[in-house]
Amino acid sequence: MGIHFVLLISRQGKVRLTKWYSAMPSKERARAVREVSAVVLSRQQKQCNFLEYKDKKIIYKRYASLYFLACVDEEDNELIVLETIHHFVEVLDRYFGNVCELDLIFNFHKAYHILDELLIAGELQEPSKKAILRVTAAQDALMEGSGDSKVSDSKYEI
Amino acid sequence: MSGGHLSKDFFELIKSIGECKSKQEEDKILAAEVATLRQRFTEQLSPKKMKEAVVRMMYAEMLGHNADFGHIHAVNMSQQTNLIAKRVGYLASTVCLHSGFSLPYLPHISPISPLKSTSHVEVCATLVAIPKLVNLETLPALMDPVCALLDHPSEVVRKKAVMALHRFCQLQPSSAADLSEKLRRVLCDKDPAVMGASLYILHEGAEADPKAHKDLVPSYVSILKQITEHRLPSSFDYHRTPAPWIQIKLLKLMATLGTADQRASEGMYEVLLDVLRRADTGINIGYAIIYEAVRTITAIFPNIQLLETAASHISRFVSSDNHNLKYLGIKALAGVVQVNQKYALEHQLVVVDCLEDPDETLKRKTLDLLYRMTNAGNVVFVVDKLISHLRETSDDAFRASLTERITQLAERYAPDNSWFIRTMNGVRLRARRRARAAGRGPQLDAADCRGVRRGRRGGHGAPPLRRNDLLLDARPADPPRHPRLRHLLGARGVRLPHWRRSGARAGDV
Repeated sequence: MGIHFVLLISRQGKVRLTKWYSAMPSKERARAVREVSAVVLSRQQKQCNFLEYKDKKIIYKRYASLYFLACVDEEDNELIVLETIHHFVEVLDRYFGNVCELDLIFNFHKAYHILDELLIAGELQEPSKKAILRVTAAQDALMEGSGDSKVSDSKYEI
Repeated sequence: MSGGHLSKDFFELIKSIGECKSKQEEDKILAAEVATLRQRFTEQLSPKKMKEAVVRMMYAEMLGHNADFGHIHAVNMSQQTNLIAKRVGYLASTVCLHSGFSLPYLPHISPISPLKSTSHVEVCATLVAIPKLVNLETLPALMDPVCALLDHPSEVVRKKAVMALHRFCQLQPSSAADLSEKLRRVLCDKDPAVMGASLYILHEGAEADPKAHKDLVPSYVSILKQITEHRLPSSFDYHRTPAPWIQIKLLKLMATLGTADQRASEGMYEVLLDVLRRADTGINIGYAIIYEAVRTITAIFPNIQLLETAASHISRFVSSDNHNLKYLGIKALAGVVQVNQKYALEHQLVVVDCLEDPDETLKRKTLDLLYRMTNAGNVVFVVDKLISHLRETSDDAFRASLTERITQLAERYAPDNSWFIRTMNGVRLRARRRARAAGRGPQLDAADCRGVRRGRRGGHGAPPLRRNDLLLDARPADPPRHPRLRHLLGARGVRLPHWRRSGARAGDV
């Protein structure tokens, strides 16, 4: 039941974010990440966004230079997981304002917090974007209020 | 947020990882970082520096490098009273640890007092971390405090408490029975998000014990009705579709409770038609709901009108150009042919096309459909197709399932003895050739062993003559780990280890 892990990788296969919802020893995790990345990166544009992996399924979607992957059970509804991924991306977009890969690279901890608001124990807990953004903004305000100055969000010179 | 302030040093680290051209370079940089962190943690650090060190450790772990010397610091941070430190500590703990492996740290984690705190944020941070870190030993202590939070004034806290309880029920299914009374109350919570959260546990409870939950069917039907009539606040709309995740959860619940139960199913027919009609919006989320509704219709007690409507939607999916929809159409078709084979007949051409499609996922699902459509008339054709795919594929798990299915079909529908023997020998020959080609001994691949053995168990009785041929039953199974591991290495073009080439011949087939 539910999502087993969420993975974000770049077009070159670099890992940008991993979130695990089931217990797996780290060797197995590393192996799963490698295998799944290899298969997903070799898929073509026109093919399905779903593929079978061992006894589970991988649902993936490519957004610009980033692949978002979620691993679910056999009997889960694939389209709704695709929409969950899309929902996550939309919330990120609202939060960062026109989110791009760089935003996620430098603010991976914030992406984690948002993902935590969206999914708990692998299930979607919050369908409303506004609620997520409201809670996240409140937490940000709390952090700022305690004296930590926010990182300069001006676009990073690379 | 945690780490709202990134030091220049950390910024440079991330930048260099982002710019490096190869995995080796990345690994080198991270290995250096881990070594620095190891040194850093032995020093006396100010809270701010400690926070940064913990975040950096989390970064290294995320990218796959082990930094377990730092885990204890993350755990310690989560016990501090400072809220920011706590959040960082929890976040890092959930990234680095998980319930199966956090045993040594158990005495340090005591989430109970933060749960009673007056600060919402603190309670929430703790509730988010609990599903990750809890295990059978810590569960009993946490059950009562979390249950108490079900009555918390803030809906965010209530919702997270429900999700934490869900995790508890997954770990210890027996606790679901005790919680059912409380969960029924949560179902009537005035905040729809909290109500939605309770559906997950209620679904698992319904799967375990459908009878106890049958009385909730009218409530689910009425909630679904309210949702489709747009009576929830508009913040629950996703692309103008009202609360799609909750709709789908309710549909799944109804499928579980309505199976083989005519009375329960009859209460659902009207709302199912309604859902199908309203979800037909032409966007992905609408299709997701339609697909789930179709699955529910095929699962519950059959109703002709509903099945016809479902079949027409399936036709649209299967004939669509969108690969995703085609895939779902095939999947749904596989479900509906179990009710009545006629629905598949009009799509035969499309099905044959999908078999030849370059998309592997689509091919596999079509094979699945064929397997379910098999009868005495088309068994030869279907088994031929399955064998040809067995020949081409190199995926172990897939081979095992194909072998199992071929065996089952062959046993169930074999037109005559000689065909059966030819087929089974063909399967074993293929397995043997494949094992030889991969550099192994002539013994059968463990995956194929499993497949044939499973198929035999599932099939109906076979005449005694054939049983003697299948020496597979007599042989002990190969330890599954080694062949599988080696095969994966082989598939990626790495040289296979030599020891297996001269390998023990555990009996001739």
